[in-house]
Formats: sequence, C-alpha cells, structure tokens
Amino acid sequence: MFKLNLKIALRNLWKYKGYTFINIAGLSIGLAACLLIFIFLRYQLSFDKGYENEDRIYRIVSSWTYPSEGEFYSKGVPRPLAAAVRNDFPQAEHVAAVQQAGGIIKVAATAARPEVKEESSVFYIEPQFFNIIKIKWLEGEPLKALSVPNTVTLSKETADKYFGKWQNAVGRNIRFANRLDLKVTGVFEDFPDNSSFPFKVVISYLTYKDESLHDWQSVSSSSECYVLLKKGTDVSALKTPVLKLIDKYYEKGSVGKEHHYFQPLSDIHYSEKFNNFTNKVMPGSQIIGLIVIGAFLLLTACINFINLATAQAVSRSKEVGIRKVMGSMRRQLVLQFLSETALITFIALLIASALTELALPGMRNLFSGDISFSLFGHPIIFVFMIALVLVVSFLAGFYPAMIVSGFSPALAIKNKISAANVGALGLRKALVVIQFAITAILIIGTLVVINQMTFMRSQSLGFNTNAIALIDVPSDSLSQLKFNTLKEKLLHIDGVKGASFCNAAPSSTNNNTSSFKYNNTKDQDFQLSVKSTDQDYISTFSLKLIAGRTLSKTDTVRETVVNETLLKKLNIKNPNEILGKFIATQGHKMPVVGVVKDFNNFSLHDKIEPTALFSFKQVYNLMAVKMEPGQLLPAMKAIEREWNNTFPDYVYSSSFMDDQISSFYETERVMSVLFKVFAGVVIFISFIGLFGLISFIATQRTKEIAIRKVLGASTLELVKMLNSSFLWMVLIANLIAWPVSYIFISKWLEGFAYKAPLSIWPFMIAMLLSIGITLITVSLRSYRAANTNPIDALKYE
Amino acid sequence: MIELKNIEKYYANKGVKSYILRHVTASIKQGEFVSIMGPSGAGKSTLLNILGMLEEPTYGQYEFMGEDITSLNERKRIELYRNHIGFVFQAYHLIDEMTVAENIEAPLLYKKVSGAERKSRVADVLDRFNMVAKKDLFPNQLSGGQQQLVGIARALVAQPSIILADEPTGNLQSAQALQIMDLFKKLNQEEGITIIQVTHSEVNAAYGSRILHLLDGVIKEDVAV
Repeated sequence: MFKLNLKIALRNLWKYKGYTFINIAGLSIGLAACLLIFIFLRYQLSFDKGYENEDRIYRIVSSWTYPSEGEFYSKGVPRPLAAAVRNDFPQAEHVAAVQQAGGIIKVAATAARPEVKEESSVFYIEPQFFNIIKIKWLEGEPLKALSVPNTVTLSKETADKYFGKWQNAVGRNIRFANRLDLKVTGVFEDFPDNSSFPFKVVISYLTYKDESLHDWQSVSSSSECYVLLKKGTDVSALKTPVLKLIDKYYEKGSVGKEHHYFQPLSDIHYSEKFNNFTNKVMPGSQIIGLIVIGAFLLLTACINFINLATAQAVSRSKEVGIRKVMGSMRRQLVLQFLSETALITFIALLIASALTELALPGMRNLFSGDISFSLFGHPIIFVFMIALVLVVSFLAGFYPAMIVSGFSPALAIKNKISAANVGALGLRKALVVIQFAITAILIIGTLVVINQMTFMRSQSLGFNTNAIALIDVPSDSLSQLKFNTLKEKLLHIDGVKGASFCNAAPSSTNNNTSSFKYNNTKDQDFQLSVKSTDQDYISTFSLKLIAGRTLSKTDTVRETVVNETLLKKLNIKNPNEILGKFIATQGHKMPVVGVVKDFNNFSLHDKIEPTALFSFKQVYNLMAVKMEPGQLLPAMKAIEREWNNTFPDYVYSSSFMDDQISSFYETERVMSVLFKVFAGVVIFISFIGLFGLISFIATQRTKEIAIRKVLGASTLELVKMLNSSFLWMVLIANLIAWPVSYIFISKWLEGFAYKAPLSIWPFMIAMLLSIGITLITVSLRSYRAANTNPIDALKYE
Repeated sequence: MIELKNIEKYYANKGVKSYILRHVTASIKQGEFVSIMGPSGAGKSTLLNILGMLEEPTYGQYEFMGEDITSLNERKRIELYRNHIGFVFQAYHLIDEMTVAENIEAPLLYKKVSGAERKSRVADVLDRFNMVAKKDLFPNQLSGGQQQLVGIARALVAQPSIILADEPTGNLQSAQALQIMDLFKKLNQEEGITIIQVTHSEVNAAYGSRILHLLDGVIKEDVAV
C-alpha cells in the first residue's frame, strides 16, 4: 500500500511538473533561509557554554548615573575592586581581575626558527581566574604558573606559532613591549571560537604595573573582574554588600553616582550595553528579530503550499472518489495526502540543504563567525531538520488533505467536483494578504535601512575624512623622542599634505570623557570629552575654527581648543566670550584659546559631545596623515618605509579614516544585507504564492470565464476582471503593513541621533512594487485563462 | 447573411487527420429558422461553434454579413460578435454567482451600454418573459426550463440579429421544451431574428423553415420544411 501510494505521489508530482516545480522552489528557498537562521542562532547561542559551575560565574560591571545625562555603563571596574571584593565578600568563592593590554611581542630567533615579532593583545590575569573558568591545561598549572611576576602562559595555537611546537614552549622566554622578559610557564587549550574570552597570551597579574592600580576613580573598560559565587548565593541579595563596598571605597561627592552589578556569564555575549573582550555581541533583540524573520519565511512558504495544493485538489477528486468507493477511509486518505506533502517537503529540504551549503560562505563573511553546517558536529541541526519537515508537512498539508479527503464519492466519481467545493476562498485570500503584508513590511524596512545608510554616508561629519591615514605609533618615552623627526620626514614625502599626532581621530570609538571645572566653579554636571592632539590636528582634519586660534606647538598641556557644543552646554552665546577662560580637567588647568565648529566625535548614533582638544605628548598613540588622493599608494608605501626605519622594534599598522568610519556602522551594514536578502526571498515566495492563488481562481472560474467570453467579453476585459480582486488584496495588505512597519522603523531609527527624514516614499515604493509584482504574476496566468477556447470549458458533461 | 464556402475542420493527431467537417458549403439568409440535424459525432456542434465564431475552421471561407470572418482581427470579430450573435446552450451556462437580473445584464456590460439603458432593457426582457418576480434569484433556485428562459433572455437582451442554439431543449422535460420552441418560433416570425439550432428531435426541427442533415461532417441533405 505504502509503495503504491508513493508511486502515485511521484507520478502526480511528475504529471503536474509546473506545480511541483514552483512548490518545491518556494518551499526549498523558505527552508534554506530557516536553516541558515537556525545554524546562525545555534552558533550564537552556544557562546560561553559548558563551563563547570557556569551558573555561578559572574562578571562585575559598572554604571554611573549623571544628573543631567542619565546612566553610563562600562564592563570595566576600578582596578582595586577585585581585591576589595575578595576581602569583603564572603559570598564569593573566587575573584579574579583581568586586564587587557597590547604591545609588541618578540620571540628570539633560534637555529630552526626566525625571530617572531608581532603586535598582540595580551591579558594580565590573576591565577584565580582559572578556578572560575576551568579549562584544560596542557602544561603547567595555572595557580603556580601565574603566581609570580614576569611569567606568561600561552594558548596552544600561540605556543605553536611562537615555538614551532607547544611542547617546546615552557621554560622559554618572550619579550613584551620591548621592556619585559617573560618566562613561559604554561600552555592551555585554545579557547573556542564561540567564547567571549579571546585569551592567547596570558601574563601573570603581578607583572601588571599601572599608575591607577590603586585608584578607585579611574575606570578603563579593559579592566574586568570575574567572580565565582558560593553555592546557594542569591545575586539579588548582593545589592546591600555592593552599596556598602561603594560607600567604603569611593570618594564622596563625585558627580556621577557609581554602581556595580553582577552580570551572569550567560549574558556576556548578548549584552550590547557592556560588550566584551571579543567585541562580538549578539543582542537579544537581534536574536528575536531573526527568529521572527525565520517564522515569517516559513509561514509564507507554508501559505504557498496550501494555496497550490488546494488549487490542485480538483484534479485529484476522481482518484479520491474511486478510493472511497473501494473502501478507503477518510483517515487513510488524509494520511496519504499528508505523506505526499512530507515527500515534497523532504525533496525541498534536500535542495534547501544544498542552498544552505552554497549560502554559508556568504553568511560566514557577513557575521565573521565560525558557522558550520555539520550534521555530525552538531546533531541538533539534524533534529531541527526533521522537526522542520514534520512541522511544514503538517502546517502545509493538513488543510488541503482535509479538503480533498472530504469530497463526496458520488460527486467525485462523476467528476462533478468543481473548484467551488474546494474550501473557502476567503481563507486563501486572507493567507495571501498576510503574505503580502509581510512582503511589504520587509520592502519598507529594506528601503528605510538603505536610506539611513546613504544618509549617514552623505552626512557631513564636520571634518575631512578623505585620504587620511591613521597610523599607530608606539607611546613609550623612548619612541616619543623620535616623533618630531618622523613627522619631518613624512612631510617631505611626495603626496603628504599634513600630519598630526593625537590619541584619537575626530570620530572615534576611543573617546575619553571626564568631569571638569569651568572657570573655577565646582564640577559641571556633564562630562567633557577630551582629545590629546598636537598643533596640526585642526589643519590635518580640516576642522573649522570659528573663534580664537589653533593650539600652539607644545608637548605638555598648556591651552585648549573647545567645540561649539561645550559653549551651548555652558550657555555661552558669543564664542569670543570663552577665550581666555579656564577649564580644569584630569588634573590640568588651561585657558581656552580657540573654538572649533562641531564635528561628530563618534558615530551618528550619538549626539556630539562637548569636547576639548589639548596637547599632551605622553598619550599620543596615533598619527593622522593627510595625503593627496591621487598619490595615496606611493605615499603610503613611503610612509611605511620611514616608519619602519624610525621604529625598527615595532610593527607598522595603519588604516584609513573612511574605513574606520564605515566600521562604526558594521551592524547596520549586516542588517541591510540581511534585509535585502530576506526581502528578496519573501518577494520570490509571495510571487509563487500569488501564482498559486490565481491558478486556483482561474480554475475555479473557468466556466464563468468561458460564459463571459461567449457573451462577448474580450481577453483584456477578462484579465482586468481577474486582476482587480488581487489589486484589492495588495492594497489591504499594504494598509496592514504600513502601521506595523512604521512602528518597527521608528523604533530602529531611535538608535540614531542623526536620522534621515522619514518620508512617505518607502511606503509608496513598497506599494507600487507589490502592485507591479502582483500585476505581472497574475496577468501571466489570467491571460492564459482568458485566452483559452470557451468551447473546451463549456463541453457538455 | 451567412455564407460558408468549403469549410473544413480536422484535428491532426500523429499525422492522422481526423475530420470533423468536410467541404461544408451553405448559405443562410436573414430571417431563416434553420435546424442542423444528424447523429452524434456528425459535427453539428462544431459547425454551430464555427458559425458563432467560437471556433475557427481549418480551411474555407466564412462570410458573416458580408465580412470575411477568417481574415478579421480579434477586435473586429468581437465587435461583430457582440452586436449580432446570441448563444443558447443545452446546459444553460448561467453564471452561478449572479442573480437572474445580473446574468441577463452581463452581455450589455461588454457592449458598453450605459447604466440607465441596461436597467430598462433588462426590465423589458424580464417583463416579456414573466420573470420579474424571479429577478433576484440565483440560477440554482430555478427549474431547468426557467434557467433556459433566462439563457434565452440573456441572448436576446443584446438585440442580436441571430441566435445560435445548441440543443436548447436537450435537458428539459417535453412541456418545457415545447414552451421554449414556441418562443423561438415567435422570435423568428415576429421579430425576424435568424435562428440556427442544433437538435436531435424531429419535433423541434419541425418548428424551423429549413433542415440541414449532417453525416460524418458532410451535408447530406438541405431541405425546406
């Protein structure tokens, strides 16, 4: 019986090749999109999982509440916090400080291997950390290996890279930052790719020297603190001890009110507010967004299937009648049709797997994650695929199966089943309206995202970004002595128009804010963003001076140039008024000598902050070089050569201002690609769904069309008649889509301080586009229906 | 009014031609009442469809009111068709989703008749056929004879010069059939509408003025009654 049914199912699929093709095409694309989303989510949800005691591991993070600006967050904590928590919190089993830093690592050449010299990110970690996060150690023991100064442990991969084989690493030396000789005392298993701990070179925390090692007022986001709470500790009960700790250690009366939270390990990868060392964050809202999109896609694919299957049902009516006469029960028929659906779904899934495999490299590129479609590596994917087949078969197959199996055998055998018997048309129309509403929402979304991206690209940032290279420079005192000569040399290179040392470009993720005093008042209730720059900064980035003069040449803090926003915040109308007044911040007191026009100091997500520029050679770590756009390539080569001559012990690294700025909008870029792809997929699927519905309606109205033709209707009139109901459906779908997408869009645009004005155009274009698609699709089929010979339809039964 | 010259119709299947009509030549004048008779498969319906421009002959020339139909473009043909031809079917072929009045109105929509005139013409026809009370019923609420009356009313409302009827009484009981045939005769005699019917029944054929006997696609006999 099963074999026979399978044979009949295959023959039917073959007989109606057109239907089968569009059915499978729509379904497999929908399934492929779902698979991709699932694979991606599985990867994202696998972060930081599987550690011993993982539900007791927390990261301590900080927040500050300012009276006028609200709350600020940082994953960093004051450096002495770890020791204080260890001392004051009996609830904590282990506490460990982690400090990120970076510098040049050198491994001396041996007979077998050349010298290794590279810029690397390193972590100073207290040995207790490895009691909290337990990983496998290949050699050495963390508690011993990291308990004395000047020791370093390496990940297996890094040890292989530095010493050929990790087995050779222990006992050898590496030189860090050209000043520290560190002894390798251990090798640990690499942290996996789906981890928020990118630890490769781990130096004992006792090696770490910093002037604010005991300073509670200074917080850097590179100082983290992890704790393992004792069994049975309730995190919410830790609030009072935290307040006590704040009270005990912090200076009273600071403007920002400090607070600390215990952030669970399972939250670290998903928290946009706090971020993590890898800078890879997957906010929960995006995960939900993807799940919604996946569900939408699956839904539209199923709707198609239902529409196409019921449209086809009439042609199966005779078979159903005969089967019933032969004694088949309704249940058996339902089962038969369900298994046919399952067969189609299965075929579609096979094609979907191939499509997924094809799309995976693109996906990996887009998200830069190690995503793999491996059924054996992740059996959950296999389970998901089976579940997908079952759910889709049932969702898509059940309704048509019920309809078809419900035919009256007497009518069915006489071929008297017309499309009118095949269930409510209203339901199918509603389904297509839903499909089109989804399509319209995605089209509108895509247009708005693209519009915002172009807007941001075209928006003037208040400074010149073109043909400016940002080149890292070492900031140790020895290298600083060479700054002036390097600059001299670079300015002599053909095509170099200007150069400036600074600690950050005008628009930068690396902004320093701190509290300040204006003109001997008490601390202002907002923060000042400070940038250390030399005298050529304003000319290099073409900032516009609106009052006073630029900074004069100096190595130490002597005077400052501020921006317009600061004036606004201080309620100063005339820029000349502030000249000669004093600003005190970070322990320096300096007169204002100039005012520059506002420039965006971070991405357009954020408002321009009150900013002060002053010269402070010690913190320069960047050199901005402005070049003639036509001579970019030779100039960059010459710059690299000079740089390497000047700093032979360091590694050259540079980037372009333009690229840095685009990197601020990486999430938006990913989003716009996703939107474009999924909008395309949904448009394609709805195209197929429409075709299914019009096919159904055309079959249902064959007789009517023929009669009308006999009554004198022309083909064009009939096409118009068939199309008009679809245009209504599209209009209704758009009316549903508009408010829904408006809500989504405004929510999304809230994330930008500078947004493109929201016009009616995306909405209009979405409507015109969907009307256009509808007309084309429907006309394809309705023209054929209207053009058939009425005689064939009106033959006597 | 109608000139058929050497009309041929065949379907080619794997090189074998199966003929439906062969060398059909005939001339039908305005005001005639012609019955086409013959056994099943003789090609009666095909001939009627060709006359009604629903099918095209494979060969031959068909002139309708002096125009060569075979060389006319679709727009012109539909124009001619809308203005002059009315069809009546054995299975009535009313549109199930429309009421009686709407069914009757349908051809006028395609003739681009104005709304007011449509109303008056439909009312006229309903009145004439004594169906005013039934105008808001749907076809499945009527008996077969009544449905066929609607079918004829629909054919008449466009004021055609010729009515083509394909076994108009084939699905009806004899009393109803009689009524329909009387109606055809009346239309023919009082209004001068040309009528061509396909029929199996000698009784029905007797209502007409001329009988064409068709056998295997060939006109065997052409007799006046």
